[in-house]
Amino acid sequence: MTKGVLLFCFDTADTKYHSILERCVTLVKKNLKLPITVVTNFKTFKRMKPMGFINYKFIEPEPGNTKLGKEWNNVDRHMAYELSPYEVTLVMDIDYFPFTDNLKQFMDTKYDFLISKSAYDLTDRKSFDYKRFSMIDMVWATVFVFRKTSRAKRLFDMIKYVKSFYPYFIEMYRIRDKKFRNDYAFAIALEQANGMVSYDTLPITLPTLPPDCKVLKIDQQGIAWQYDDQIDYTRDQDVHVLNKEVADV
Amino acid sequence: MDIRELKKQSDLSYDIAVAKRNALEKAHTRLVVVYNEHLFRADPETINLIKTLSEVHTSPFYVLDSNENPVEISNPKEFLQILVQRNQEAISSYHQMSKTFEKRND
Repeated sequence: MTKGVLLFCFDTADTKYHSILERCVTLVKKNLKLPITVVTNFKTFKRMKPMGFINYKFIEPEPGNTKLGKEWNNVDRHMAYELSPYEVTLVMDIDYFPFTDNLKQFMDTKYDFLISKSAYDLTDRKSFDYKRFSMIDMVWATVFVFRKTSRAKRLFDMIKYVKSFYPYFIEMYRIRDKKFRNDYAFAIALEQANGMVSYDTLPITLPTLPPDCKVLKIDQQGIAWQYDDQIDYTRDQDVHVLNKEVADV
Repeated sequence: MDIRELKKQSDLSYDIAVAKRNALEKAHTRLVVVYNEHLFRADPETINLIKTLSEVHTSPFYVLDSNENPVEISNPKEFLQILVQRNQEAISSYHQMSKTFEKRND
């Protein structure tokens, strides 16, 4: 059975996502030791430094979304099923840095699709304990694992459908954030595809650094950051970094 | 103790509390283990359940995984060993980290 990691990376006018990808790939190779496929475009590919043996899939990202007023190419995640060359695929945001091998074992389960429902704030300000206004739980599409089965295919078809009628679905589920977010598209599709009942999840909470944390240093073991006058660090723990200035560290 | 020293101690306590919480979350994540293609937590509850069932019930027996799906356990000894090993790996790492908190507090 083939297993591998699928990463999406598209540079924008403001952010050198390829620099973030390079760090992520180094850690995936070191800690997860799995084959890697990068979904990118030629413009971004030309800026990447050589990273050893990696598969590339070239697509042009669908434009249109923004985050904090900046271009944000995040709407192609629904194509993971078609783009992955693996039977079992781990899809990760490139700003999720795997400083451990924790994710690797999730490739060995019988589940068709696994995703986490929770994240926690590494600065302990509980930034991600969102009050639940919507009618469904949010999931974090930062990290998910799927097997190429008919059930997983149906789920990805559902995600495409939700994406097509996103304004309708977010109204129906009373989701306040009007911009397209994979987290909500996946949560809605999981709810719909599973007959409006509960579904299987990854029993982990994603360690996350909020966008107002400035990353000071990253090495092979961990990451140091500054928030206000506090400097902190963590090592041997995966970290999802939301501040895109990490590309310049 | 003057107010500056109190502020310094307060900041230090905050730093330690954040680091402790992160270390604990790290341990919780490390407690997740895959066995027989299912997800489990190598926590005291699971360890005690497997230990008890292996003593009072003939194998195979059945338990629920972290998503409450039933799983057949045909080799409880092997499973228990994996659970204990993972539990101690995670908690001993947390213990080592907590020693550094004590040093920072001195």
